Amino acid sequence: MSLRDRFSQISGQTRFVVCRIFVHLSGREVAPLLGVLNQAVREAINSEGDMQVLGNQLVQVCESLLEYETFWQSAANEGDVLWDEGDAGDYVNELFTDSAARYGSEIGSDSNGNENFAIPVTQNVVVMLTVASEGEVPELETNLADVTALKAGLKALVNLNYRGTLRAIQMHFSPAQLGDELTSDQLIENFPELIPL
Amino acid sequence: MMRKLSASLLALALVWSSVSCTSPVDYSTSQPAPQPPQETTVPAASSITDGAYPVQQATYDDSSGEYSLVLLNTAPEQSMFRSANLPLARLTDEEISAGKSSELRVENGQPALYLTPDFRIEYVHNVTATQTDPQTGQEQVVIVRREPSFWTPFAGALAGQAIGSLLFRPQYYMPPLYQPGVALVGHGGYGRSYNEAVSRYQSRYKAPPAEHRNRQYRASGRLRSPGSTAPRVNTNRPSGNGVGNSNLRRNNRRNERARPSGGSFGSSQRRSAPRRSPSRSGRRR
Repeated sequence: MSLRDRFSQISGQTRFVVCRIFVHLSGREVAPLLGVLNQAVREAINSEGDMQVLGNQLVQVCESLLEYETFWQSAANEGDVLWDEGDAGDYVNELFTDSAARYGSEIGSDSNGNENFAIPVTQNVVVMLTVASEGEVPELETNLADVTALKAGLKALVNLNYRGTLRAIQMHFSPAQLGDELTSDQLIENFPELIPL
Repeated sequence: MMRKLSASLLALALVWSSVSCTSPVDYSTSQPAPQPPQETTVPAASSITDGAYPVQQATYDDSSGEYSLVLLNTAPEQSMFRSANLPLARLTDEEISAGKSSELRVENGQPALYLTPDFRIEYVHNVTATQTDPQTGQEQVVIVRREPSFWTPFAGALAGQAIGSLLFRPQYYMPPLYQPGVALVGHGGYGRSYNEAVSRYQSRYKAPPAEHRNRQYRASGRLRSPGSTAPRVNTNRPSGNGVGNSNLRRNNRRNERARPSGGSFGSSQRRSAPRRSPSRSGRRR
């Protein structure tokens, strides 16, 4: 810990870690993951973002991601350590806006009134998770574009929920549902930070 | 006469709080004197020189936990003081009989509000609702109405309670749970630190205080508005869904990279990865 950090710690300030993780999975068999992701987000929306519910859904998503490890294609992460709660709140808010800007809320593929009866199966799924936690989380405060590190990071997220130090939770994913596609072009254009694992 | 005076004071407080809430407050430009950057966790408060300043009026806004004070005997531009993290203390009986009135004491740049037991803080209660931002299509929590009330933190009944002599030393206090039409007396939580006060409040009421509550719930994407008839736009953006919430306070500072960081980390080798904020303009619809 830097000298300034140690000073902040001694003077009783709270340390906040804000972190966003991107996980990209590819292969025909990843589409069912969208079912889990939709379920998680739907539960959270139904509870109007209740933090307990969000935490439980985050655990579901992390555990599913760990189950789909064989399909992990690329990943990325970014984050910051902040000693001011207001700054952490601002950063979390910016991350939400940025994550949501990677996809659209309009209907991207015409799933209604489609003349062609084959349902496209997406080859790519991207999940973006953002958390803010009090204290230190060494498993997150590092480069997660590596299979072992990413595994440890996702497990750490699960533990954080049970530790009770999570102050912000966000879950985003693309495409929105079965039948929608995330093409390679869209992947490169909207998620340029992804690094192959 | 009193009614007229309190009505106009109320109106002043309301106008004041609504002005401070509707326009994004940029604390760095509202400070009257240039100051070296401070590295503390206390959210940006107005700057004020050390001293003791009688308080003419105090207002507490429960959406942000911010106190706004009208002070006397200050330097010209420092008479309106604002701070979101303000410790309170009760004046001792000796001080009161010696003629002291409620005042803000600032020592080494740290303010603390010393109050008489009957000092009433104007309490502005914010009623919130979730609305969709027309520009981004995302949900945000907004303040729809403000209700004025009063809060007397140190009303007589408190003196004999467990916290006893701690009353006279500055501590952080949470107001009690808001009830419409009832003046608030006492506190809902206290502590040597802001977080301690919040957690005491939480164990008492089984919910975080209004200023601290989940106010950052946001949802985006298709699930947010199922069955919406948004026209199909030819865009190269994929579909997606997202949800999030936070109970962190916000400074709402404009400059995203100006915050003092304890160290960034990540998979990108550069400290500041290119942000995709330009995609906000133009591409959405």
